Amino acid sequence: MSILEVKNLRKVYSSRLGGNRVEALRDVSFTVERGEYVAIMGESGSGKTTLLNILAALDKPTGGTVLLDGKDLKEVREAAVASFRRDNLGFVFQDFNLLDTFTLEDNIYLPLVLAGKRYEEMRGRLTPIAARLEISDLLKKYPYEVSGGQKQRAAVARAMITDPKLLLADEPTGALDSRASDELLRLFAEINARGQTIVMVTHSVKAASSAGRVLFIKDGEVFHQLYRGNDTDELLYQKISDTLTLIATGGRRQ
Amino acid sequence: MKLGFYPRLAADGIRKNRRMYLPYILTCVGMVMMFYIILYLAVSPSLDAVKGADTLREIFALGSWVIAVFSAIFLFYTNSFLMRRRKKEFGLYNILGMGKGNIARILLWETVWTAILSIGFGLFAGIALSKLAELGLVNVMRGEVTFDLTVSHVSIVRTAEVFGVIFVLLLLNSIRQVRFASAVSLLRSENAGEKPPRGNLLLGAAGLLLLAAAYTLAVSIKNPLAALLWFFVAVLMVIIGTYLVIIAGSVLFCRLLQRKKSYYYQASHFVSVSSMVYRMKRNGAGLASICVLATMVLVMISSTTCLYFGEEASVSQRYPRELSLTATFTDERDSSADPVKPLREAIESIAESRGAELSDVCDYRYLNVSGAFLPDGEVETDADRLDSFSASTLGNVTAFCFIPLADYNAMTGENRALEDGQALIYAYRTSFDGDTLTFKRGLSLRIAGTADNFPGSGSAAMDVVPTVFLVVPDLYDAMEQLVEGMSEETEQYLVMRWLFQFDTGLNAEGQQALCKELRAKLREGGEQLIHFEGVTVGAIECRELERDEIFGLFGSLFYLGVILSIVFILAAVLIIYYKQISEGYEDQARFDIMRKVGMTKREIRKSINSQLLTVFFLPLLLAALHICFAFPIIEKLLRLFGLNNVSLFALTTALSAAVFALFYAAVYRLTSNAYYNIVSGAREAG
Repeated sequence: MSILEVKNLRKVYSSRLGGNRVEALRDVSFTVERGEYVAIMGESGSGKTTLLNILAALDKPTGGTVLLDGKDLKEVREAAVASFRRDNLGFVFQDFNLLDTFTLEDNIYLPLVLAGKRYEEMRGRLTPIAARLEISDLLKKYPYEVSGGQKQRAAVARAMITDPKLLLADEPTGALDSRASDELLRLFAEINARGQTIVMVTHSVKAASSAGRVLFIKDGEVFHQLYRGNDTDELLYQKISDTLTLIATGGRRQ
Repeated sequence: MKLGFYPRLAADGIRKNRRMYLPYILTCVGMVMMFYIILYLAVSPSLDAVKGADTLREIFALGSWVIAVFSAIFLFYTNSFLMRRRKKEFGLYNILGMGKGNIARILLWETVWTAILSIGFGLFAGIALSKLAELGLVNVMRGEVTFDLTVSHVSIVRTAEVFGVIFVLLLLNSIRQVRFASAVSLLRSENAGEKPPRGNLLLGAAGLLLLAAAYTLAVSIKNPLAALLWFFVAVLMVIIGTYLVIIAGSVLFCRLLQRKKSYYYQASHFVSVSSMVYRMKRNGAGLASICVLATMVLVMISSTTCLYFGEEASVSQRYPRELSLTATFTDERDSSADPVKPLREAIESIAESRGAELSDVCDYRYLNVSGAFLPDGEVETDADRLDSFSASTLGNVTAFCFIPLADYNAMTGENRALEDGQALIYAYRTSFDGDTLTFKRGLSLRIAGTADNFPGSGSAAMDVVPTVFLVVPDLYDAMEQLVEGMSEETEQYLVMRWLFQFDTGLNAEGQQALCKELRAKLREGGEQLIHFEGVTVGAIECRELERDEIFGLFGSLFYLGVILSIVFILAAVLIIYYKQISEGYEDQARFDIMRKVGMTKREIRKSINSQLLTVFFLPLLLAALHICFAFPIIEKLLRLFGLNNVSLFALTTALSAAVFALFYAAVYRLTSNAYYNIVSGAREAG
C-alpha cells in the first residue's frame, strides 16, 4: 500500500494585489510506497521546494490532493497541523535548522518535548539513534561547536526520534563538503534499509544516485522518472546525468 | 553630483532603517527638548517674581547638567544598537569597493542628518513647550502667571553646543568601530558566533551579597545623619548588586532549572528557559539598567512629591510659631541681672502697636552643647577627643539643650521641683533610658523625670542630629560644670541664649510687616536700633517670610524630580523597545525552525508570552523590592528636610509605584506587539 499519494497537485502563487500569477506546480502526481527512498530532482525554480512544503503541510495546494498513509492533508484541521507534522513527519534541512540556544541533545528532544514525553522515555529513544549516527559523544555540545556534518547528523536524529512515517529531506547535502555528504548519503541508505521511507529533494546528482527512484520535475510537472532496479550507484549516477543533459538540451514534453 | 551622493546615501540609510532610527531620533529630540526647557527655566525672566527663584535657578542649573551627562551615556548605549544593525550594510559597501574613508563619510552625513533633525525638532518642541513648562512651574511654585512667550537665545546656543559635542563623540565612536573591523567581520557581526553563557557563581553570589548588605544597611540605620552618609554607599551597592544579580545570577538560576530534568523537559518551560539563558547574558545589562532607572524614578518621584505636599507640615515643624526671636547673652557669668526683661517688653510693645495679640508664647533661656555618646554611655563634648569621622561616632552625635527649671515651669504652667544635680529629660528623635546622664570630666545629672510638656523647638526639628532637652535647676551651675570638661576651643561655642516665639493673630502681611519692624528696631545693623544691656538680638524669623524659601526649594525639587523622571522613563522605554526589536529579529529564524519541527502557533505564542512576561517584570519586581528596602533610609533623609510624615511618604511611594507599573504595562503591550509583528512576519514569508 502507498504511504504517500500525490494526485494532480497544483499550486499558483499570486502577488498581493492578484496581478501576477506564477504557476509553481501545474499537475504533479506520483506515489511513494512504504520503505521507498525517492529523490526528487529539478533545477532551481522547477517547483521542488513548493512541492516539499506542501508535502510537509507547511503550505496549502491550490488544487489536487496529498494522502499521507491514506489521510488527506486537507482534512487536517489548521490547529492540528503542527502536531500532525510532529507525529508523522521528520525533516532534514539544507541549513540544518538547529537552534543555537540548545545543545545537540536538546535539539533532538525538541519534537518529543513538544509532544509531552517524559525525559526517561526520550533518553531511551535517543541512545540507539545517537549510537547509529555516531554522535553519542557530541550530545552535550552546542551547534556552533561541531562541524557541518555533525550538525546534519544531529538534525537527522531529530527527524528520526519521533519514528515518523515519512522522512522529508530538503537538499540535505547542500551545505556539506564531499566527505560529509558521502557519509550522510550512506546513513540515509542505511536508515532506508531498516525500513524508513525517505523523500529527498535535491539537485545533486550524487545525492540522487543513492536513492531507489528518482523523479524529475520540470516546469511544475513530473517530467520523467528512473528506477534503480539492480543498478549500482555509479550506473544510476550515469543515467541521472544523461537524463539531466536531455532535459537541459531540449528534451521537450512528448 | 558627487557633492550630493553621500548626503543622499546617508538619508536613504536612515529612511530604510526607520524602525531603528525613528525611536532613536525621537529620543534625541526628547533629550534636547528637556535640556532646553530646564536651561530656559533657569534663566527665564518670568520666574523673577516667583518665591525662592534663586534656589530654583541653582537647582535647575544642576539639573541641566544631570540631563546632559545622562543623555551622553544613554545615546551612546542606543547608538550601539543602531551600529550593530548597520554594520552588515557597511560591510557590503566595503566589499563593493567603498573604502573605510567613504564609509566614514556616510557615517558623518548620517550623524549630521540625525543631529539636524534632533536638535532642530528638539529646540522647536522645547520652545513650544517651554511656556507650558513655565506655567507648570509657576503653578507648582504658586506664583503669578504671565502669558508672553519668550525665547532664550543663551539656552538655544548652549543646547546646540552640548548636543553638538555629544553627536561628535558618537560619530567618532562609530568611525572607530568601522575602522577596526574587516569587511567580512562587519558582514557577519550581527550573527557572530555565540558561546553558551556559563553562569558565574562568584559574580552572582557577590551580587546577592551586595544587595543583602545594602538592604541590611538601609533597614538598620536609625539616624538621619548616618543615613545621609550611607545613602550614597547603599545606592552604589544596590546598583552594582543589581547588575551582577541580573547578569550573572539569572543565568545561574536558569542553569539550575535546566539541570532539573523533570522541570526543564516540559513543553512550556523547554524553549523559554533555554532562550532566557541567552537573553539574560546579552540583555542582562539592559534589564539591569531598566531596573536601576525604574528605582531612580520611583525614589525621585515619591520623595519629591512627599516633600512638596508635606511642605506645610515641614514649615510648621521648622517654625512652630508665627514669629520667633533668639538673643545671645553677652555677659553670661552674671547670674543676678535679667537682661531679657527690657527686650521682651520692647517686643511686646512693638507687637501690640501693630495690633497683635501674643498667644502660645514660648519663652526660655537655653544652652546648646553638642556631644557624642561614647560606648560607655557617657557623653564626650570635646571634639578633639572624638574620632569625628567614624560611623559609630556619627551615629551617636546628639545635641544637648539645657533649660532652667524656672523657665520651664513658667512656660508650661507646671510646678515641678528639682534638687541640685537632678534634671528632667525630653528626648527628641532619640531615646535615653539610663538614670544618670554624665558628661566626661564634668556635669553629671540624675534623671528625675520627663519633661513631657516641653513644646520642642524649630531648630531641633531642622537639626540633622537628635536633640536631648534637659531641664536643670540652674543654668549657670550647669554651664560652669560643663566648661570643666571642655577644651578652650570648644568652650567658645558654649553660649547662653534666649528664645522668644509666639503667634500674633495677624494675617500674613501683618506678620511680615511686624517681623520687618522688629528686625529694623532690634537687630544689629537695623536702622532704628534700640540698645539693650547684656544681650544681643540674633535671628528674627517669620514663618510667612521663610516659607517662601522652603517653598522655592521643595517646589523646584519637585518640578525637577518630575522632569528627570520623564527623561529616565523615556530612556527606560527606549531600552525596552530596542531590546524587543533586536530580540524579534534574532527570534524570527528561531521560531521559524520551531514551527517546522512541529510547534503549534499556540505553543509559540505561549512561549513568547511567558518569556516576555518574565523578562519585562523581573526588573519591575526588583525595583519594587529596592524601593521597599530604600523606604526606611529615605524616610530618615526626609527628616533632614524637616519632614516627619511617614504615612504621607508611604502614600506617595505607593502611588508612584502604581502609576509607574501602569505606564510600564502599557509600554509592554505596545512593544510586545512590535515584537509579534516581527516574529510573525517571518512566518508568513517562510
